[in-house]
Amino acid sequence: MSFSNGILNLTNWVGNVILPTLAGLFFVIAVVRFSRGLAHYPSMYGGFLCLMGSGLVRALETFTRQRSWNDPDVYWVSLVTLVNWIANVIMPLYAALEVAAGGLSLASGMRIHHTSNWQRHFLSAGLCLLLSGLLRLAEYFVAHGTGGVS
Amino acid sequence: MQTPQLLTDMANVMMLLAPSAALLCLVLAGTSLRRVNFAMGGGFTKWMFWAVIFVTLPGLLTWFGNSGVSVPSLGGGISSSWLSSFETNLSGFVQNFVVARMALVLAAFMGLRAILDVAEGESPLPSVLAAFFLLGVQTTYTLIQQYNTGTQYAISDVLASLWTYLASVIMPTAAGLGVFAAIIKFALGKPAMRLVGVSLALLCVSGLWALLQAMAQ
Repeated sequence: MSFSNGILNLTNWVGNVILPTLAGLFFVIAVVRFSRGLAHYPSMYGGFLCLMGSGLVRALETFTRQRSWNDPDVYWVSLVTLVNWIANVIMPLYAALEVAAGGLSLASGMRIHHTSNWQRHFLSAGLCLLLSGLLRLAEYFVAHGTGGVS
Repeated sequence: MQTPQLLTDMANVMMLLAPSAALLCLVLAGTSLRRVNFAMGGGFTKWMFWAVIFVTLPGLLTWFGNSGVSVPSLGGGISSSWLSSFETNLSGFVQNFVVARMALVLAAFMGLRAILDVAEGESPLPSVLAAFFLLGVQTTYTLIQQYNTGTQYAISDVLASLWTYLASVIMPTAAGLGVFAAIIKFALGKPAMRLVGVSLALLCVSGLWALLQAMAQ
């Protein structure tokens, strides 16, 4: 018996046994909250994330392997990779989801999210795809504002 | 002037009891882990430090010898039968009672304590980690012994090796736990980004140490 074996097996147990079980519970919570018109997105996405726990750990491990283990920039590069992955992989997928939700909302008049109409869905999709451009625009404004107001 | 035999015997007893003292310190470190306190001078760190000192005591005495301080040769047999049986009994007590039995009972209590922690609305993790540590006291002691270089710098060598072990073996595993905790927090609608950042940092401990060194230059 050793401390390292204990914490390793605890991690495996939580990630491979408990989280997939909790995923079902989170989906139940999402459905119940949806039926009452409450915010159900955290529970729904949380359920999916519970099923992808091991994959997300592998993803973070991959992000931290961009540089050697003793490189001073390894944490910064890992953060940059994480931001790139969210902005360039996850957000376009989310944009597609928002387009689908906007189309459904427009066609049927049903609100997919209780606070959002179809215009908000389409605008969200556009913003998701424009993230890099918006960042560059903000950088441009800041860079050209360094001289102050003249 | 010849050192009196009684004093040499007592010094030998203390040297022979050092491993038992180290094991005792590890058990106390395990119980202190329940109230996770990694501050210098805090319970866990203090007892781990003393455990390392007891394991590397012969190396420390070598350091005094190299500095010109006369140190009598220790570690031999004990001529007094009473002191010898005292040392044997005390070592046996620590090995057979404290480590083999009491540590197990304490670990079992920590398991129960973890459940009670949840009932009180606290995290069960400190109690679970303390239970793991108490269950692995003997393995941790063997690990520290393996890291012992036996030189005058043995204390710092062992501490550095323990740091490397922590950074390269324990922390990457803890990063996985951090990700899972972030997922649960997100699903419950609580802030989770802090745990994602911490998990990334736990995977980059050596890199962050290199960053600190680079900043200090």
